Parts: sequence; C-alpha cells; structure tokens
Amino acid sequence: MSKVMGAVNRKDGRAKVTGNATYAAEHQIPGLLHGYLVTASIGSGQIKSIDTSQAEKAKGVVAVFTHKNPPKIFKPSNNFISSKIYEARLPLSDAQVHYGGQIIGLVVADTFEQAKHAAHLVKVEYETQSPLTEFQKATFKEAPPFMGEELKFEKGNVATVNNAAVKIEATYTTTTELNAPMEPHAIIAQWQGADALTIYEPTQWVMGSQRTYAELFGLPAERVRIITPYLGGGFGSKAMPWPHGILCAAVARHLQRPVKVVLSRRQMTVNAGHRSETEQTIGLAAAADGKLMAIAHDVKSSTSPVDTFTEPCTRVTPVMYSAPNLRYAQELAIMNVGTPTFMRAPGENPGMWALESAMDELAWSLKLDPVELRLRNQTQEHQHQNLPFSAKHFTDCLKVGAERFGWKDRSRQVRSLLRDGQLVGWGMAGATFPALQGVATVKVRLLPDSTVHVLTAGNDMGTGAYTMVAGVAAETLGVSVEKVRVEMGDSQLPDGGMAGGSMMTASLAPAVIKACQDVLKSADCNDATDAWAALRQSGRAAFEATATSAPPEGEKKWAFQSWGAHFCEVTVDEEIGRLQITRWLSVMDIGRVMNAKTAASQVRGGVIMGIGQALMEECLLDPNIGYPVVYDLATYHFPSHADIPRIDVVFVGEPDLNFNLAGARGVGEIGITGVSAVIANAVYHATGKRIRSLPLTPEKLMADFRALTADETRDAQEMKELIASNKSHERVAGHSQNV
Amino acid sequence: MNNFSYSRATSVQNAVQRASTDKNAMFIAGGTNLVDRLKVFLDEPSQLIDVSRLEMKQLEPLASGGLRIGSLVTNTALADAPEVRRNYPMLARAILSGASQQIRNVATVGGNILQRTRCPYYYDTAFPCNKREPDSGCPALTGINRTHALLGASDQCVAVHPSDMCVALAALDAVVEVTGPKGKRQIPFGDFHRLPGNTPERDTNLEPEELITAILLPPLPFAKSGVYLKLRDRASYAFALISVAAAVDLAEEQIKDVRLAIGGVAHKPWRSQEAEQFLIGKAANAATFEEAAKIALQSAKPLAHNRFKVELAKRAIKRSLMLSAAGGVV
Repeated sequence: MSKVMGAVNRKDGRAKVTGNATYAAEHQIPGLLHGYLVTASIGSGQIKSIDTSQAEKAKGVVAVFTHKNPPKIFKPSNNFISSKIYEARLPLSDAQVHYGGQIIGLVVADTFEQAKHAAHLVKVEYETQSPLTEFQKATFKEAPPFMGEELKFEKGNVATVNNAAVKIEATYTTTTELNAPMEPHAIIAQWQGADALTIYEPTQWVMGSQRTYAELFGLPAERVRIITPYLGGGFGSKAMPWPHGILCAAVARHLQRPVKVVLSRRQMTVNAGHRSETEQTIGLAAAADGKLMAIAHDVKSSTSPVDTFTEPCTRVTPVMYSAPNLRYAQELAIMNVGTPTFMRAPGENPGMWALESAMDELAWSLKLDPVELRLRNQTQEHQHQNLPFSAKHFTDCLKVGAERFGWKDRSRQVRSLLRDGQLVGWGMAGATFPALQGVATVKVRLLPDSTVHVLTAGNDMGTGAYTMVAGVAAETLGVSVEKVRVEMGDSQLPDGGMAGGSMMTASLAPAVIKACQDVLKSADCNDATDAWAALRQSGRAAFEATATSAPPEGEKKWAFQSWGAHFCEVTVDEEIGRLQITRWLSVMDIGRVMNAKTAASQVRGGVIMGIGQALMEECLLDPNIGYPVVYDLATYHFPSHADIPRIDVVFVGEPDLNFNLAGARGVGEIGITGVSAVIANAVYHATGKRIRSLPLTPEKLMADFRALTADETRDAQEMKELIASNKSHERVAGHSQNV
Repeated sequence: MNNFSYSRATSVQNAVQRASTDKNAMFIAGGTNLVDRLKVFLDEPSQLIDVSRLEMKQLEPLASGGLRIGSLVTNTALADAPEVRRNYPMLARAILSGASQQIRNVATVGGNILQRTRCPYYYDTAFPCNKREPDSGCPALTGINRTHALLGASDQCVAVHPSDMCVALAALDAVVEVTGPKGKRQIPFGDFHRLPGNTPERDTNLEPEELITAILLPPLPFAKSGVYLKLRDRASYAFALISVAAAVDLAEEQIKDVRLAIGGVAHKPWRSQEAEQFLIGKAANAATFEEAAKIALQSAKPLAHNRFKVELAKRAIKRSLMLSAAGGVV
C-alpha cells in the first residue's frame, strides 16, 4: 500500500465544467419561495421600531419575519458532539444589534427580486451605541481553551534566559480576512409535513448539520436529510449552520413551503465568518550557533459579542522549533464584529506568519542561513504534548527545497540584487499543519455490471475527495478508476465525517481500503474481476461491505503533523511600491500522497490564498458606523491571475502508517501556512525593509515613506470640526438594507 | 430593484425625445455599471431606454487628422483599433488596464465616461452619503478613506472618478459630442465631469435628456510617445490608487509641449495644467519632472488614510514623464 498514487484527473471535473454539477441554490423545487435578509445598518444598539407594513404590502410578499414574530427554533446544546452552530445567539431572538450587518429580519416572497425589493422597504429605527470595531481600542482578556485545548503553556522559564548571544522581539499583525468562497452561502429548506426536513446547503459536515438542524427543530436526526453533493469552497466557513440557514429552515416550517435564502456578497462580509485580526509578539533568544534558548509567543485576537472564537495562533509554537524555555499565551477581546470562525489553517496560518518572520529576523541577526537555522532547531517531539512526531521529514523539505531553488547561490546581503531596475529578493519559510482524523464509514458495493459503487456521506468541498475515494477503491480492488462510481454528500449515506481540519482523506481512505478488502473477503476472491464473475454466477444483486475508520485508540504514542517549506523570489519597484512574485517553490511532507495532481492543486490553492493574505486581503470596517467598507469581490481584493507566478510543488516523505492504514495525513491547509512570511522575508532581502503588518500594500513598500497618522495629516482642529459637523454619525433611522 | 419599463430607441432623436418627456428615464447601453447600480437601489428609473442598437459604433478619421469615436464603440474595440494603438497608445493602455476582458467586451465608450464614482459608502444604502441622499453626511471623511480624493474635493464628498479611459481622454483634450432636445453640442472633456462642491449628486454636466453620441479626439502627434501608468492593490481588476496619463513633446531635450492627467485623485480625471505650464520650455530631466509633480500636487488635501497617495502620485508623475520623454512604451 505504500506506493504513491499517480496523477488522476478529477472524477467530478466534467460535471463541474459543463454545469452539470448541481450546487445547493440550483436545485429546482416546485413551489419554492425566496427569502431575502434584512440586516442592521448600525454597529451596536437596539431596534427601537421596525416597520414592515410597506414590505408586507409589496407585490409577491408572503411574509416578513422580525424579532417581533420570530419563527419557532429550539435552543441547541451547541457542542461538537451533539450539535454545533456558528453563532450561539439564535436569529431574531431579541431587539439587540451586536454588529453591523446582523440579521434583523427575513422577507419571503414568490421571487428573489420581489423579496429583495421588499426587504429594502423595511424601515428601522435604532437606539444607537458607539460600536467598538477598532482592535487597538479593545479590552483583551485571557482566551478560553480552544476546542478543549489550553492556549497557554510554559516550560522552563523564558524570563530567566539572560546569556543569549542574540535576542529579538517583534510584533506582527494581520487584518480581518474573509473566507470568500466562490459559491456564496445558500440554503433551500423543504419540509415534508411538520416533522421531516430536507436541506440543500453547502456544508462541510453533512452529519453534523443533520444532528444540529434536528436539535434546532426538535426532531430525531433521521427526520432531517442534508444534501450536499457539491460545494464551491468553504475554507472553514461552511461546516455548521449560520443564522441565515437556521432562519430559512424555521420559516419554511412556519409557512409549510420550501424556502431558499442566498447571501449576497455584501452579506457574506459579516454573516458567514472571517479570520479575526491578530497581533502577535514573538520573542526569540539564541546562542551564537543559532540554537534557540527561548521562544515566547503572545497573541491577541477578537471575537463577536454573540460567540467565542479564538484564532489559535500558538498551536504552532510547540511544534516547530525546540527550545528549553518556551512560553505562549493568548488573549481575546469582544468587539462589535460578525462572528469569526475557522479559515484555512486557523491559527497555524497567522501563527506561522509571526514565527517564520521572527525566525528570519533571527537568522539575519546571527548572520546565519535561515535554512540552516531551522535545521539546527528542529524538534523531534511536540513540546506541549510530550509525544514524538511520527514520520517527520521537515529536513527533506528544507534540503530538497534549497537544492531545487538554488538557495546556496543567493546573495548574502540585502538590497544586493537588481534586475531591470528593480530590487530582487529571495525568501524562505517553513510550513506546518497537524494531521487530524475523524470517524468515517464507507459502503462498497460490487455490482454485476462490473462496476464498483462507493457510498459515504462525507463530501467533496472541491478538494478532490471524489477522485481520492475512487482511486483508493480502484487500487485496493485492482480495477481501473473508471469502473468506480462514488456517491457522496447525502446524510442518508453512511457517516463520512467532516471535510475540515484537512482530515477528509485521512478519515475516508482507511475506511475505503477496509471496506474494499472486506468485500473481496466476503466474495472469497483476490480481486474485483474474480468477484464480479462470482457475483454473476451467484445471481445476487451485489457483494457489499461497510467499514469504519477511526483515529488510533488507546495511549497516545505519537504526535502527527505535516511539514513543508516555501521558497520564493520577489521583485520590488520601491519608488512606486509595486511588488511582483516571480518564482515559487513549495516542498511538502504530507505522508502518503493519494493523488499527485489534486494534492498539488491543494498546495497551490493554499499558496495563492496566502499570497492574497500577504499582499491585499483586508476587510476594513468603518470605525464610526461599524460596518465593512468592502462589499463584493471587486472591493475585497484577493489575487487575480496576474498576481500569481508559476508555483512548483514537490512532495517528499513517506506514508505515515502510524497514523492510519493509508498513511495519508491530509493536504488541504498546510499550503497556506508560512506563505506571508516567505514573501515578507523576500521583501526584506530585496529592500532591507522589515514589514511586520499585513497586507504588504504599496504604501508599506514605498521607499523613504512613512504613512502618517490621522493627527499628522489634516490640522487637528479642522479634523475635530469635520467630525462635529458630520451628520453621518448621527444616523439612527432609515433603510435597513445592506445589499 | 423597482419595476421599470424597457424599450429600444429607434434613433438618436427618438431616444432624446423619449428621455425629455420622462425625467426618471435612463439610457442603457452596455449596462456594466447601471445594472449593478439598479440591483443595489442606487438608481430607480421609471424606464430604461436601450440605445445599444443605435448607429453609433463607428470609428472614423476626422478631417483634422483626429478620430471620431462613436459612443457605442466597445472598450475592447477601441483599445484594439490600430489607429488608437498607433496614435494614442496611452488610451489603449488605459482601457486595457481597467475592469476585466469580459466587462470591456460589453462596456461602451459613452458608458465608461458616465460610470459613477465607486466610493463604498455611496454603494451601500445602509451608509449615509451626500451623493445619494443630499445633506445626510459623508462618512468617508472620518471613516475609511484610503482610496479617496486628494484634489478638488469638498467636505460634502471625497469620492474619486474610477475610469482609466477618462484619464487618457482628459490628457488628449477629447471633446464629448452630445445630442439633446435642442440639437447637438460639444463639451470639452475638462468641462464634462464635475467636482463635488455642494452638489455631489451630480457627477457630470450632461443634462438628463442628453445622449452622448461620440467622442472626438483631436490630432496630437506627440501622443505617440504617451504613457499610462496605473498603480493599484492587485495586478488586475482593481481601480487605480493612482494613475497617470502623460505625453512629452521634445525638441533638442527641451520640452515643447506636454500633457499630464492624473487618475484616482479627484472626483474627475485631473488634468494638471499648472504642471504642464511649468514644464513647457524646460529641460527634460528628472529634477524638472520632480518639480512638476510637486506643482501638480501642491493643493492636495489628504485625509487620514490616503496621505501616501500624495507621494505615490508625485512619483508616478515623475516616472511617467521620464518614460514618455524616453519615447514611451506601448
């Protein structure tokens, strides 16, 4: 089983490019009604009055729901085992507005256009409070544990390290980033009477959604069916129900009609999660030979008033580098912002931005090759869990990467390379992500027409899971991949776990292998060809077997983690602050590579998303009104093709058979980690300028320029008068609609 | 979106006549800006008069040696036209640096000129905005204003004009030909767009019943060395933080004539005649160009987050003038 599978084309590729892949909002349901959200236009306060009379009279309108007539919803237990929703506060539960853009109503009409138009006619008066949306003004307190894991730790004593050759301490910041999947958040809810519900919704966790919707409506789980055969990207923002989904299903029950709600891009800027702003201070102390003596990592992030989510940046601190003294802690503040959530490599991504930038700063201070610095400080054990890493090949990532990139030929000085009048810089950084595995069940059926049918509720969020499952089944059964049909993403199929935490492959592949082996065993054959013959002879409809995979039981012997290294080249035209990434290489150790093609795509996608974070992504909020000033994919910038260089991806390592039968650790998230740091490190090499705040926009890259503060720009008195005369801050009433 | 009627105009006269009997009517051609605006309640017309099938799609040479561009010529067609690429390369480059290929394929020249400012506060009816709702206030002044105006703004409005094409047209002294109930009139490009002053709701001096029929480009031989430099937050599909259209006419290293317009700095494409006047007769070198850049930005009034644009504009101006003096790039 240890051989690396080849490059297999996507099973779902043709359906997707020809439009035959049906996404949630595209399902055609007879009698479908359309809901459009009414959202708050203030950042904090109470609804004083809400006038729905005009909306109710508008053509095609069936009903308008607000906090005054909320549909029936049961409070869920809201934990990961039984049910979990993104936002603990249920929609329309009271008149309070906790953040700009919060859902305060839903208009249901015969057509989408009628619903949207009527939503615009809802008039709201508010009692407005000044919203807190500025990170610098927030009050931070110790962060609670993240999914049961303490976000503070100390070994040794960082404070007593005083004989270091070099010490550095620096603060690194990231901005509010949006998951911004290509497929907007959407749901169709259809009730069969009062006690059976079918939901078409892009969810990364089909069975979790089933349990949660069941609790929300007081039903047994089997009375809820979730259908998600295709999902157009989620990046963590589609694992659980959001308020719009809960509201849609509740209203559909109330009206006893199928209802669809699709979020606008504008609404997605607050109602579908984001990555919180972060501020991280890293302290490093090292001996002259580069050996780390101490690592200290202090993190601040923010959450909404209605749920707690801490961006767990410190999860990388005990796994990357060995230090006898190591300490980390996280703080959290409540701000008037939408609820943040998981976004591709939550924690690891901003954590690696800070840590890998700091390691680069340390390498320059020590006049040591940053690759060598990392090689010297590798840790063979997880320093918090006190477990050795299984199948760790970080050394190969660094060495193979350095070799392929030509790292030894780099210039050793900053500002030392020029090409076509522009500064050129090289950078490198590490990458990491933990290997996670869930419980997953798969059914395999051998059919008399010489095909194989594989079924599981686990789904493909665009990563290539269909193809991976087909490939593993084909290999185990000894048939070609074309013979395998895979059905996924329906809660009526066996529980396939969650497409999150990069764990779908690790969860599903062992179950597929086992089910395939079992089906051959039950047929008493060595491969599928023999089994098909036996099946036809027997006259039975199918040979079938169901198998379940689970994380290793018993005492933990290993820590499982994936590793990588990125190398890049940038050019900087520093007079005008223009940066171009010109070369990229990523070397990854992810255990067994299940499909070279889709695995490389996952790494590339991660790198591209990381380039967005590094160079342009920023969801700015108006500080006075408390609402994002980005509203679509033209104003929330992420990379265009012209921003992206060729990205070379190389895999190293070996199957991690301590982890699971397939030896695969997953690859969805590791690609984005370390990306921002590599780019900032390359910018430092090019320009001599160390930029510690993301994104690296032109004003930060411009030579001999310092962006001034507000007080320094306009005369302070003039500014005060402006604020005093500005009526825009007094707004308490008007349209509620954010389209 | 409100309900409106839709019909096709049968001729320019027919379009104008119908518009003049309904002050809430709007013309539609490519619709790349208007349809978006309808969807977010920025415009609520009673009727849309589709002018996209009228005969205004010709590119014709003018007797003077210039070019007459029918207002329905698409952005793509104009940027691809050999006479534009050859004689007005800054115009081709400006167009190609804007929007996306798909948008440029349907967007018309007339519509490009009429696109409204893209201030995020204007685009969401949840925000107050003097442009949308006179006297409701301008949250951009004290809010997020990184991309906002440096020049010619008022305390009513600090939005910037978004078009790349218009920056080149301003530099090239284009003339807008319009037809109204009283017949044709010509508006010099510099007088077409307005500064916000106390009437930020008006972006142009076009009357509601007037239809743009053509853009006239006068001949300008030294425009062959013209350049368009656009600086932005990503390499494609982003509005300019700063853009510059520049052309320098050199004789013996002396500046005989020059054109300079800046985008991303004002409510209209900003032609800097002061800087042009300063440059004429001077030696073409970095110091002169730097001085001209200073003059162009001397009345800049930055806000809390856009101060960098003052410096960026100066550097972009100097770079563009240098490039044009060196022969330009296409």
